[in-house]
Amino acid sequence: MTLKTTTRSLALAALLGATALTLPALAQDPSTITGGFDVGPGGFQGNFNPLAATSGLTWLSVYYEPLVIYNAELTQLEGALASEWSMSEDQREITFTLVEETWHDGEAFTSADVKFTLELAKNAAAGSVFAARLGAITSVDTPDDRTVVVKLSNPDTGLLSTLAQVMILPQHALKDIAPEELATSTWWATTPIGTGPYKFTQYVTDQYVELAADEDYRNGRPLTDRLINRYFDNSAAAVAALRAGEIDFTYVEPDDAATLADNADYRVIEGASFVVNYVGFNHMVGLWDDVRVRKAFMHAIDRQAIIESLYGGAAEAANCGYVADQLVPADIDQYEYDPDKARALLAEAGWSEINGDKPITWLTYYNTPLAANVMAAVQAMLSQVGINVVPRVVDTPTYNGIVYKEGTPDWNEFPLVYAGLQNGPNPAGINVGLNESQLPPNGANIMRVQNRMLSAAFDAALGETDPVAAEARWQDVCRVMNAELPWATMWVANRYGVASNDLVDFVWTPAPAGGPFASHPEKWSKSE
Amino acid sequence: MVLALSVLVFILLRLAPGDPIDAYVNPASPLSPDAMQALRDRLGLDAPLPVQYFGWLRAAVTGDLGFSIQRVGVPVLPLVLERIGPTLLLMAAGLAIAIVVGITAGIISAVRRNSPTDIGFSVLAFVGISSPAFLTALLGLYFFSVQLRWAPSGGMLTPGAGFSLGDLLAHLVLPACLLSIGHAALIMRYMRASLLEVLNQDYVRTARAKGVREFFVIVKHAVRNALLPVITLIGSTIGIAVGGAIFIESVFNWPGMGLLLVNAVETRDYPVIMGATLVIGATVIVVNLLTDITYAAVDPRIQVA
Amino acid sequence: MTAETPATVRSASKGPWVRAWGRFSSNGAALAGLAILVPILVLVISYPLWWPYSPNDIDLRALNQAPGPVHWLGTDGVGRDILARLMQGGRISLTVAVVSVAISIVIGFLVGAIASFGGKVVDNGVMRLVDLAMTLPPVIFLLVLASIAGTGVAPTIVVISLLSWPVLSRMVRARLLELRERDFVVAARGMGASLPHLLFRHGLPNSIDILVVYATLQIANAILLEAGLSFLGLGIAPPEASWGNMLNAARSTVVLEQYVWQWMFPGGALVLTVLAINFLGDGLRDAFDPRSDLN
Repeated sequence: MTLKTTTRSLALAALLGATALTLPALAQDPSTITGGFDVGPGGFQGNFNPLAATSGLTWLSVYYEPLVIYNAELTQLEGALASEWSMSEDQREITFTLVEETWHDGEAFTSADVKFTLELAKNAAAGSVFAARLGAITSVDTPDDRTVVVKLSNPDTGLLSTLAQVMILPQHALKDIAPEELATSTWWATTPIGTGPYKFTQYVTDQYVELAADEDYRNGRPLTDRLINRYFDNSAAAVAALRAGEIDFTYVEPDDAATLADNADYRVIEGASFVVNYVGFNHMVGLWDDVRVRKAFMHAIDRQAIIESLYGGAAEAANCGYVADQLVPADIDQYEYDPDKARALLAEAGWSEINGDKPITWLTYYNTPLAANVMAAVQAMLSQVGINVVPRVVDTPTYNGIVYKEGTPDWNEFPLVYAGLQNGPNPAGINVGLNESQLPPNGANIMRVQNRMLSAAFDAALGETDPVAAEARWQDVCRVMNAELPWATMWVANRYGVASNDLVDFVWTPAPAGGPFASHPEKWSKSE
Repeated sequence: MVLALSVLVFILLRLAPGDPIDAYVNPASPLSPDAMQALRDRLGLDAPLPVQYFGWLRAAVTGDLGFSIQRVGVPVLPLVLERIGPTLLLMAAGLAIAIVVGITAGIISAVRRNSPTDIGFSVLAFVGISSPAFLTALLGLYFFSVQLRWAPSGGMLTPGAGFSLGDLLAHLVLPACLLSIGHAALIMRYMRASLLEVLNQDYVRTARAKGVREFFVIVKHAVRNALLPVITLIGSTIGIAVGGAIFIESVFNWPGMGLLLVNAVETRDYPVIMGATLVIGATVIVVNLLTDITYAAVDPRIQVA
Repeated sequence: MTAETPATVRSASKGPWVRAWGRFSSNGAALAGLAILVPILVLVISYPLWWPYSPNDIDLRALNQAPGPVHWLGTDGVGRDILARLMQGGRISLTVAVVSVAISIVIGFLVGAIASFGGKVVDNGVMRLVDLAMTLPPVIFLLVLASIAGTGVAPTIVVISLLSWPVLSRMVRARLLELRERDFVVAARGMGASLPHLLFRHGLPNSIDILVVYATLQIANAILLEAGLSFLGLGIAPPEASWGNMLNAARSTVVLEQYVWQWMFPGGALVLTVLAINFLGDGLRDAFDPRSDLN
């Protein structure tokens, strides 16, 4: 009897699954590349709306395209849907010349689509995460089908970088949906159309997204018939699938990269993360008011040893918010590992009166094994000089809930954090976490850094429109950070992806938020 | 009962730290306050909680469980319903294996009491009960998928390949077998104990004395009666099976309720947690009822109230 | 750490206890369980006395070292000694299990006792609550609770104890309902005995066997629950060691195949301990069951 019930429910379940997942039978096996394109910190599984894309842009840019895009080295912008663009003398007008392209449903792509998209992206009611960053745009004009003129209220050096993340959307398909309803529309995950080399076929909830080659893509028909983006709960599961031969590519943790580097079947791709990791001092708790205490942190932590052993050398120690050569002055303090000096600094500052050996919570949202090891190492090093920190790992929602809490947060919940902030390719990235003007709720200055010198340095750098002069301004920011230590800056680590050696002309880089970058998916192919 | 459950879960979730909005913000590339507020409005997170609850309840009565916060625009009910099939399939397959293996091993053990086979089975059963599901799942995954490549490492169907029964079974076998370990062990132990008890009873002795062949004694008389407590056991462990399935689903990326719930808890997706808990609770209640009915069918002495 | 070692069991009272001990001591598996468990407990409790490394000492020059003469069981990803972490992890895992079971026994006994002595209305209300708590599959309840309580030793104890009492309270209630009708209890009530008197003078001694057996088996369960929670990242957070979070390292295929010692020892310790406790619990159950003499 039990068996009968069991069999029945089994048959029923199989039937359910069958109806949900039936596909038209294909006459011939199409060539397919499968990957975990949304695994890791640059991915965003389950988001299909480019206006809400805080990350996951690597994958979205396979079927949508922005006007301009960073090259794969993330060093400069190149054309995507705009073949060229020019900035006016006063930096208040950008003119884009558009390419000839059709949407995946055959309609022509025109300047009207660009105007539609930019206005939507500026509209916070549409759920756009770009609204504030596009605030300088006053109007978008379309003199003809192939030309777009964007007018700005004031020069904005970050605008083109932002536009590189705004995917152009089809006006004809979306104009009938009210902006307020756009974010909850099912269009994104069922029938989206873009201009990219691949077009959307289907999304099987929480399992994978399937794309098919766009036959009339302007740069030639893609070499591979299908791309599949498989979803994984964590990178360990993706690595298992990679090694089982089920996927051709995924993001991996440094440990896995080191192991797979010796394997002839795989190619390890390494790139800078553009995220600076830091130990953040909560400036409201009163423990860190003395700069000598903050300096003691820098001298007490053997960053070089951690980089050598735990990161396998694939990280660069940071003595301010930056590590890029052009942003770091040569004469800043290098804060060599020197526990004796750290102890001396703490003694001078009177650490035994300030806190002594009472435990200090060290909050983080990093829950990878590597981060746990790093924090254990730092904890041990700090205890050598008499600072007793206790790591506390929470998930991202809890972390954000604690540090952004409305009203007055409980500062003692996060006297110290271990976190990271995007510091490139545009150096303005860390402003949001350090400038006085960015105190929550206005910004992300969660450590409540209120240093007038530092804020002034940021404001000066942000206001500088001449690129050469701007570099000197960012160096000033670095110098102030190095001397004042609003954070104990740790390092900028590399991140990794692993691709099967069967993949030909595959381009990927661990760009922050997933880029996007010019990866040219139409050229990817797989040798059998 | 299900209603009380929903209130309980809602109150519990109210106590949770963090706001669903926070799951959207990557601390390394934070959003501006305008963008946060826009997200918040879009997700409808600003209503007071009792309003959120009663709104949810009113709609739930008509079968509308609201929309997922994490998967923007996706209604909860179909989301949850499409996960029941895979979970039931996995659990049914796991239980079926467990029942066949457990009962067979239990009978063999009881019949050959204290033989090396019995001791071997009993020790194996103890080890099975004492091993955490996630550890056996990880090891199984590693040996059978990564090393031997006998079975896929996860998912329910090969992505993009279209549906075929063979493909489904290939994906099902490994997680179902791993899920069945703990249960097979439990069932085996109960079956053994129960059969030993029955074999000691008068009517079995009478049958033996009458010269009925040992095989028939065991199959016709003893096993049928010994099955009763085992069926109760199976029914009462459905809840535990759901728990075990969570680990298996999480390791094998099986698109079931467990995976849905774990993800929803991670992202504070209240509507999905509520919907999933409600459906799981209801399923457990129904399954318990089914066990009672099955029990009544096997044992005529009991009437279903 | 063990309230249920035979010594305390034997001293509680005479008669049935002596017979129970007799049955227990003739049970090979139960004795084997005891023989495994006692050394584990001794090692875990005494390790700082005989082992030079402490569980959180890192050594960046000795990462991922295989077992050898210096680090007997090898080192982990930051050069911490696995043996020291295994022992400390054992302390944490066992403490969590024992304390949470102790709490759940108190709750379970009180709820069960109040239900059975408190009259029909109370009984109905309380039992509905218990039914409710039992409807939710434990691990799901655990997930929801753990996401609220957060990580750490205390929240994990709270979560596990909140989860384990309903079954016990049912068993206690059933036993005490039976007891309530017995003459000596009826007499005591007639003489105006107070509720606490009834509970602790008559209720407790008469349900102690259920409590002991349940506690033992539940400790095994709690160890597994803690491990599962820590595996999902909701239990004991690193760098504090527990067997569960040491096993979490096995998620990475690198650790799984190259640094076998990092998960095999905690895994082995976990399975062995749970196994021993299960043997023990099984033996205790048989020992308290008068019918088992018949076999």
